[in-house]
Amino acid sequence: MPRTVVCFKWVPVDSELRVDPATGVLDVAGARRSISTYDRNAIEAARRTASVLEGELVGFTAGDAHAKAGLKEALARGVDRAIHLSVGDEVMDGHVTARVLAAGIRGLDDVGLIVCGEGAADTYAHEVGPRLASRLGLPVVTNVREMTVQDGVLHAARVVGGEIETVECDLPAVVTVVAEIGPAPIPGLKAVIAAGRRPAEVVDVSTLGLSPDDLRPRAVVEDLAGFRAEREHVVIDSGSAQERADILLAALRTKGVL
Amino acid sequence: MSGIYVVVADEDGVSALTDRAEGLRSEGSAVQVVCLGRRGLEAARSSNADGVVVLDAGDDDLRAEAYVPALTALLVDRGPELVLLDATVSGWEIAAGVASGLGVGLVGDATSLSREGESWRAARIVFAGAAVETLAWDGPGVVTVAPGGQSAGPVHPEEGRAAPAVEERVVDADHRVRTVARTTRVVDTVDLAGAARVVCVGMGVATLADLDNARRLASAIGAELACTRPVAEDREWLPATRYLGISGATVHGDLYLGLGVSGQVQHTVGMRESRVVVGIDTNADAPLLAQSDLAVVADVNELLPILLAALDPASVGAR
Repeated sequence: MPRTVVCFKWVPVDSELRVDPATGVLDVAGARRSISTYDRNAIEAARRTASVLEGELVGFTAGDAHAKAGLKEALARGVDRAIHLSVGDEVMDGHVTARVLAAGIRGLDDVGLIVCGEGAADTYAHEVGPRLASRLGLPVVTNVREMTVQDGVLHAARVVGGEIETVECDLPAVVTVVAEIGPAPIPGLKAVIAAGRRPAEVVDVSTLGLSPDDLRPRAVVEDLAGFRAEREHVVIDSGSAQERADILLAALRTKGVL
Repeated sequence: MSGIYVVVADEDGVSALTDRAEGLRSEGSAVQVVCLGRRGLEAARSSNADGVVVLDAGDDDLRAEAYVPALTALLVDRGPELVLLDATVSGWEIAAGVASGLGVGLVGDATSLSREGESWRAARIVFAGAAVETLAWDGPGVVTVAPGGQSAGPVHPEEGRAAPAVEERVVDADHRVRTVARTTRVVDTVDLAGAARVVCVGMGVATLADLDNARRLASAIGAELACTRPVAEDREWLPATRYLGISGATVHGDLYLGLGVSGQVQHTVGMRESRVVVGIDTNADAPLLAQSDLAVVADVNELLPILLAALDPASVGAR
């Protein structure tokens, strides 16, 4: 039975990001990490598809040593085997990520469907899915919000601007999904315990036969700054509620928005 | 023929892209438009481009994505300085496919783009709006340009400029993904994006009576009523079409008035383009208050009736 592959990214939790109000610098290091929100939806969608294809569901993540921690969560969410393609401290962009994932996936035979999130919670670059398809020589269907697999054919509905495009495509194929593909339930205790018995593997990138060019990032992050809104920041915090309301209304009239 | 290549995946936006390309091309290089099928061809003819290449697989209904192999082959042959596309669903997919084929970097949804010789820089929004990253690369690259944010370009075509030469190429399409149907998406009639004023209900609005007062306030000042995601998704007080933020609606009107809105970044990405931002919350440390022009530290439950009495005395009197 054909395998299903799902790719996921281990990212800083965005609700834990802090921007230094004085410098505007974004503190990423202080945030906990988790599997990218949308990749959780992707894992659940892949799990449902894998049960139709009746083959193994393999989860892949490519990243630094931190990313290994994501394997346990992926297993709890239903992948049969989770593989961390460990790249050490190499700088990664979409090019490197896709080349590493493609090399890892090539190590499996009989892959029917590869599921990725349309974008990751940190960069949301709409990049790795189509690059992976290109590298593996497979067709890609992006921005998918509904999909089924039947008799070796993928049927998918994708959101394209104001339209829904319904497409079909023979397997094997790559599909990228948006959050609307379906909710990602929080794993129950039973699933977490079962996950502990399933294989979590770490594969060093040096064993994948990649060239220095494969691992050379094309675009590098030069600066990462917290978004700053220029606001007047007048604080109205004294006097009675009536007085505060009066100050607010007067200010809104002065600004011409009432 | 090197130069900057503008790829037309959708009907709109051709001239904005060619104007941008015009400002980025190096001395002596050209701006070329590539049409995927005949879509956008008329706009390309009347743009500032130096030349137009039409890739034609002989089927007007063919999806733009089907041209990725033919487009990649053309670009590998031409060796572009830069490939530009609009950041649309088709544009994203085509851009990533082409970047992979060329073995170059990709910047998605760029909000700014500049060059110094062969060194390029582009900025884009990351972490759902919490931050801006600047990406740098040398040599060719592929960029999709985020909609909006730029002023209107020059009139098209510039006066006295010759119409671009059009070269038609018959190509093979990638038929592996087949379109079965295209249907118009059912869109909610609420036009939050076009609202001049918005009153937004957060989790600090504790009771249905307060929600009702928020609705009266919105109607008294001619505002649309909006909410944060948990108010719609968890409490189900308002339809999901009315929540602002990531995966929700975005407003950029004259006034945003947040009632009991804490102001997590997942929400503020949907409202921070508003001209005047007002935050009302009991918690002086609420992130929204730090991002407001007018930050009122007050209990919404107490303040709403006072605001209503001032703005809509009839409604209060009728109760």
